[in-house]
Amino acid sequence: MPDGVPSNAGGGAARSAGGAARGARWRRWLASPTVISTAAAIAFAVAAGLALIALTGAQVGEAVAAFIDGAFGSAYAVAASINRATSLALVGIGFVLADRANLTNVGGEGQIAVGGMAATAAALYGGVAGLPLGLSFILPLTAAVLAGGLWGGIAGVLKLKAGTNEVISTLLLDFIAIWLVYWSVQSEALLRQPMTHSSTLPESLEIPDPTKLPIITGDPGVPLHIGLILAAVLAVLIAVVLSKSLFGLWLRAVGLNPTAARRAGISYGGVVGAALAIAGAFGGLAGGIMLLGEQYVLKSGFSSGYGFDGLVVGLLARGSVGGVIAGALFFGFLRSGGINMEMVAAVPSAVVLVIQGLIVVTLAGAAYWTRSRSAA
Amino acid sequence: MTVSGEAPLLELRGLTKRFGDLVALDSIDLAIRPGEVHCLLGENGAGKSTLCNLVFGVHSPDAGEMILAGSPHRPAGPADALRRGVAMVHQHFSLVGGMTVVDNLMLGRESGWLRRGEYAARVSAIASEFGLKVPPAARVDDLSVGERQRVEIVKCLMRQPRLLVLDEPTAVLLPEEIDALLAVCRRVVASGCAVVLVTHKLAEIKRVADRVTVLRGGRVVAVSDTPSRDIDVLVRAMIQRDLDRLEGAVLGVETAASSAEDVRGHAQVPAAAAPARAQSARLEGVRVVDPAGAVRLEDFTLAIGSGEIVGLAGVEGNGQTELGDVIAGLTTPAAGRYIVAGKDVTGSSPRELTAAGVGVVPQDRHAVGCIAGMSVAHNLFLNRLGRFARSGLMREDALLDEAHVLMRRFDVRAAGPHARFSTLSGGNQQKAVLARELSIDNLVFLLAAQPTRGLDVGAVESVYKLIRAACDSGVGVLLISSELDELIAVADRIVVLYRGRVMGERPAAPAQRTAIGAMMAGHA
Repeated sequence: MPDGVPSNAGGGAARSAGGAARGARWRRWLASPTVISTAAAIAFAVAAGLALIALTGAQVGEAVAAFIDGAFGSAYAVAASINRATSLALVGIGFVLADRANLTNVGGEGQIAVGGMAATAAALYGGVAGLPLGLSFILPLTAAVLAGGLWGGIAGVLKLKAGTNEVISTLLLDFIAIWLVYWSVQSEALLRQPMTHSSTLPESLEIPDPTKLPIITGDPGVPLHIGLILAAVLAVLIAVVLSKSLFGLWLRAVGLNPTAARRAGISYGGVVGAALAIAGAFGGLAGGIMLLGEQYVLKSGFSSGYGFDGLVVGLLARGSVGGVIAGALFFGFLRSGGINMEMVAAVPSAVVLVIQGLIVVTLAGAAYWTRSRSAA
Repeated sequence: MTVSGEAPLLELRGLTKRFGDLVALDSIDLAIRPGEVHCLLGENGAGKSTLCNLVFGVHSPDAGEMILAGSPHRPAGPADALRRGVAMVHQHFSLVGGMTVVDNLMLGRESGWLRRGEYAARVSAIASEFGLKVPPAARVDDLSVGERQRVEIVKCLMRQPRLLVLDEPTAVLLPEEIDALLAVCRRVVASGCAVVLVTHKLAEIKRVADRVTVLRGGRVVAVSDTPSRDIDVLVRAMIQRDLDRLEGAVLGVETAASSAEDVRGHAQVPAAAAPARAQSARLEGVRVVDPAGAVRLEDFTLAIGSGEIVGLAGVEGNGQTELGDVIAGLTTPAAGRYIVAGKDVTGSSPRELTAAGVGVVPQDRHAVGCIAGMSVAHNLFLNRLGRFARSGLMREDALLDEAHVLMRRFDVRAAGPHARFSTLSGGNQQKAVLARELSIDNLVFLLAAQPTRGLDVGAVESVYKLIRAACDSGVGVLLISSELDELIAVADRIVVLYRGRVMGERPAAPAQRTAIGAMMAGHA
């Protein structure tokens, strides 16, 4: 294991400082093949990205500074990155839950879209703005959850009744939902703001203030909203459901051997339907949070790839909710930095997408490498 | 053969293989001579399959060496082993179902343009040389298990191997097919190739083996150059128990075929006594039509009394699977009724049937009887996991405790209740599945489909002891098996299934063997 050597040397320095059992555990973790290969994969992808930036003719130093500034440079930047990570994490958690039943939900994008639409409709026209006790935003969020759950549930029904593979159905439902958003903001009969003159943009009205998600910090300059808390609670809840609950066992049983599970009296249809609906509900919640927490106005294309990024986060987490959170934070900061890099250093944000793609491919390759090493 | 008399074709010296803490093979010394049928005998988990997999290059040894025809044999993988002249037929076949026999045989062997006609002629030539009947143009999906196995053997023989390894080839075969296979083994060794035959069945050893090596716990515990004279010694070496104590069922073919007397351990109940019993389960005029429209079961009527073992004989594919699905609640019959303990349960779900006291040991325990990736405890309670849930959360401690009790009661041996099910030997997996089904509350009816397939002598004995004990406590048992001798030894009466219909019924007596065999072939 060539990569193990330098890291062990680094561990030696730590030993003199600490020396407690916990230190040893950390060193072992840091020297584990998974951590080393993950770090190597990220380092490789970042190096390749920097090379690409140099090739575009931009100043690498300036681009990196802009990236760091955009991701971590200010309290505002950090809050925006975390908000972004929150949405990704929700989609990723839903993905991991369905994945436990061996179902691949690639419908995050569409579930975000319908969630955002439902939240907008409820916030603008549901008469909730005057409600007390936070119901003014809880009800629109609930609408988003239900809409996303419905969207995921459609894939479940199609799978159970017609045998349609959920990869196909959720992907196609993505496109339907994305164009439903387009339609709804084009038509005044739906969610488009009243056309007062010819230049009225095809988007919804801004949602009323009481329906916006409260900001944790209380400071509009640091727009960290309560979606973070909600996502953290749900992450813990789902981690417990997956590892400790009867439903978690059913998911595993159906995922590992549907025939044996069915024979043992576990309802295959119920589990598959519930798994896809719950995964969809998480996507819908992500959409609701994006709309009520940051965007406030429904626009065509507002989901802008979050669903697919969330899918990647879920894939890379390989079944672990903790992995989802780590991946979501990573992608959240990466995207924020990338956007700033484009604005300030004129580096095409496509480069960031390329880096992101490289990380996914190298991580997958690294995972394969560690697995084949440990199997040998 | 002619090559320097008895110089071994394959020699194993101190061969050792570990999987984690488990020593699967411990310093094995073994010599296979050219032109011999060498039987490997041993219980499940004795290391037979591991040994074959080392020779075939699936795994590589941790210590020791293999010498093939005088030079070191270190195959990098199965393909490499094949190039060196070692071919193997696994228990699970590797054929592509939707393709024809010839296309399967050409896979990986031909490149460029395919010359099917020419290749088919070569296949037929090899097949007839060794007396193997294979239809070259047939689709593999349409072949019986026995035919598929013959295709696998032809696939090996086309490479003109020096050593042919057959891993438990007879476990899935009918009596006539077994005869044919053993004849093929003799023909193959006559051509100078050596055959390694893994088996549990003593009758086969008597008939075909030139030499026998017995493995137990990863070690060689006995070797015999005159197996047919040493059978008792070999069996004792294999299971470390006296042959006399084994039930007639264990001896299978040998007992039933060699003696007309009833040597079974349990009392025979004449068929006439059956109607007097309380009824455990009844199927009335059941009809099953598959999605393609073919009738799989027609007017199937059978009553199973409580405390009775009814054997269902028949060649596989005559409706056994469909009957099993009806009984397990996976298929709703197109017509007919299914009654358990006087209650009509036609069309009930698996969960409702479990509640009604129906236990099912499915035919294919690997595919549908268990979830190999989950723990032993989860598998033991798969059909009632909810019992251990409190407000949705699993009480794993209670589950593990109860699993422990069940494991002790049914003698399921594993590292512990939390061990992965896939780490258990075949016999212990089957005992675990039985433990789950036999411990159903208020069990009244048990379907056991091929419960001993692939199990060794010791495990077969324990499985039938468990089934017999359930029966003695009043459970009605329907036993489906393709091994007629096993049915004769264990069941009270035998019903024959042919093309989805009941062909007839006979008392389970060795004297009825011919009559039942004729019914299985469709002659009433």
